[in-house]
Amino acid sequence: MLSENGAKMELEDFLKEITESDGVAGFEENVSGPIARAFAPYVDETRRDNLGNLIFYKKGKNAAAPRVMFCAHMDEIGLIVTGIEERGFLRFSTLGGFDARTLPGQEVTVYGKEKYPGVIGHLPPHLCKGEQKKKAPEIKDLFIDTGLPEDVVRAGIDVGAVVALRRNFVTLRHRCRAGKAFDDRAGVALLWQCARELSRMDHAADVFLVATVQEEVGTRGAVVSTFGLAPDLGVAVDVCHGDFPGAAEHEVSPLGKGPVITSGPNIHPCLFERLRAVAADYHLPCELDVSPGPTGTDARAIQVSREGIPAALLSVPLRYMHTSVELLDLDDLKTGGRLLAFFTTSLDRAFVEGLACF
Amino acid sequence: MKELLTRLTAAFGPAGREEGIRALLQRELENLGESGAVVDDLGNLIVSRGEPADRRILVAAHMDGIGFMITCIEENGFLRFTPIGGIQVHSLPGTRLRFRGGITGVIGQEKIKEQKDLEFSRLYIDIGAASGKEAEQQVQIGDTAVFNAPLAAEGDRFIAGALDDRAGCALLLETLKRLPSTLPQAVSFVFTVQEEVGLRGAQAVSYRINPQFGLAVDVTRTGDTPEPQFKTPVSLGKGPAIKIKDNSVICHPRVTALMRRVAEEKNIPYQIEVLEQGGTDAGAIHLSRTGVPTGALSIPCRYIHTPGEMVDRTDMENGVSLLLALLQTEWNGSWGRSW
Repeated sequence: MLSENGAKMELEDFLKEITESDGVAGFEENVSGPIARAFAPYVDETRRDNLGNLIFYKKGKNAAAPRVMFCAHMDEIGLIVTGIEERGFLRFSTLGGFDARTLPGQEVTVYGKEKYPGVIGHLPPHLCKGEQKKKAPEIKDLFIDTGLPEDVVRAGIDVGAVVALRRNFVTLRHRCRAGKAFDDRAGVALLWQCARELSRMDHAADVFLVATVQEEVGTRGAVVSTFGLAPDLGVAVDVCHGDFPGAAEHEVSPLGKGPVITSGPNIHPCLFERLRAVAADYHLPCELDVSPGPTGTDARAIQVSREGIPAALLSVPLRYMHTSVELLDLDDLKTGGRLLAFFTTSLDRAFVEGLACF
Repeated sequence: MKELLTRLTAAFGPAGREEGIRALLQRELENLGESGAVVDDLGNLIVSRGEPADRRILVAAHMDGIGFMITCIEENGFLRFTPIGGIQVHSLPGTRLRFRGGITGVIGQEKIKEQKDLEFSRLYIDIGAASGKEAEQQVQIGDTAVFNAPLAAEGDRFIAGALDDRAGCALLLETLKRLPSTLPQAVSFVFTVQEEVGLRGAQAVSYRINPQFGLAVDVTRTGDTPEPQFKTPVSLGKGPAIKIKDNSVICHPRVTALMRRVAEEKNIPYQIEVLEQGGTDAGAIHLSRTGVPTGALSIPCRYIHTPGEMVDRTDMENGVSLLLALLQTEWNGSWGRSW
């Protein structure tokens, strides 16, 4: 129990550190440092590719064994300054899919010549007139206020400055934690848990754990990392919608009942079945999900890379996606990490060759 | 510059039918003494300079433009069409088109209740034919047309259709003309095809060339007109723009930093561009193979994708200066990101 408890704390510490770091799509430098440091003790090699994907290599015991790639994106949705107005108010656009209704009242960090704290302002209810009272604001109605005089703003912040949401990790009761950028640093944390599990196991397969960039603007990092690694198969680890009031049951998955294994045309059926079988063999709880189209995750980029690469998707249920209070259950990360590790030990050359037989 | 742009904007070349503009570009290159231009399987035109080394920059400007394709010839001689590339339907009624063979047409509009409900299906092209039979002697389904909008110069401003991206092509040709023979790294200038329908030429040519760095030269929107459709601080005449992002790419921070540094060192005016719509060849280049650190140099342009595209002469000239300076700068080091 003690060691289990200790392990849990470490996973939580890692999740806290990387979700309190900033790494907006296209500008992932800041968050990549802590990620690289945390993975280093458990992997044989770390490198970065041309677009900034972080690639961790864990050597297998058998040179003839398959090459497998597990990826989770380290970028988060963010904002970018498009204009500086009179009195120094900043107008902005988005990097990734924000719901404008969730932005008023948020704290932000503006990456100008230095880091500037700011808040996102909006007309208070007292001053809203007529239709304004009923209408949700759009991005164009919002602005960032750094509190600084216009000349200081203009000297320190340019159009093109990147803005990250600012939110401390929230420790809720039970095993639930909330914060920003859990989409998809939770996936990165799951990969880290997998690396730790694998460091205590014998595995024949060569494993590449990749923290990808620019998923939120179109799975761009995974396009080039998958091409570069040319794995025999790839598993994307991302988040899916957790259950909460108002959501249709078939669109969400419960928290705390294990990671979610997806099936659908984006997913190789044998990988789906193998993940399910491994979960059953090791008594790991998991949920199932169906995604009828391209999944919108790195799994899509994997599937159509090179000559086509068998892809799977493992997801962590997450409530309130694309807000700064994304919420998950730590146990789902732990279980997911173990599932991926046991999945790795289950792989051999015969299985990979079988993937091409329909 | 005016004469060059006049020739380039007069050439025929909607996406997918670039034969006319490509032939002109080949002549222009021969006049510059470039004999080694290569055309790839999709029609991209490639000119390489510098020793083949382990460092090569791919510089791309697209030769294709938006256009129109005939989908149906009606019995009464009117032509129905589909747009090639992103065209706003409301800008079309009354505009003149020209087909590849030189035939002129004008876009007409059916009566509709509310002008805001205008759709392409309610527009047609009139080439003066009295019947479908007569029309079929002139054109056939699948034929393409472009805006009939030759270049005019007003002061420092150039007005023409197809300045997107013949302005970029002109910028590359002017740069090639003035480029010294020794360079710190090899460079491939590519006049790409089919950018307007999804960066298709650039995707194939990037795979072929396998460059270490990429740079797209294209036009970008401005916000310097009355109540502009798109809010952006970019203006005509304040210098070429260094792109931070558009819908197709987030430019590599080290490339944009290099571009800014070189512009500042050489005292070349520049603007910063954050484009909320649209894409450029940079989007395809940076995702090629294992990833290519890529930037984009943009020429500010008003009324993009209309017959009245407008650019500024000084922006073009400063763009040439910046591109020349960039290609004479060493793009060194390991370009996995600095951390």
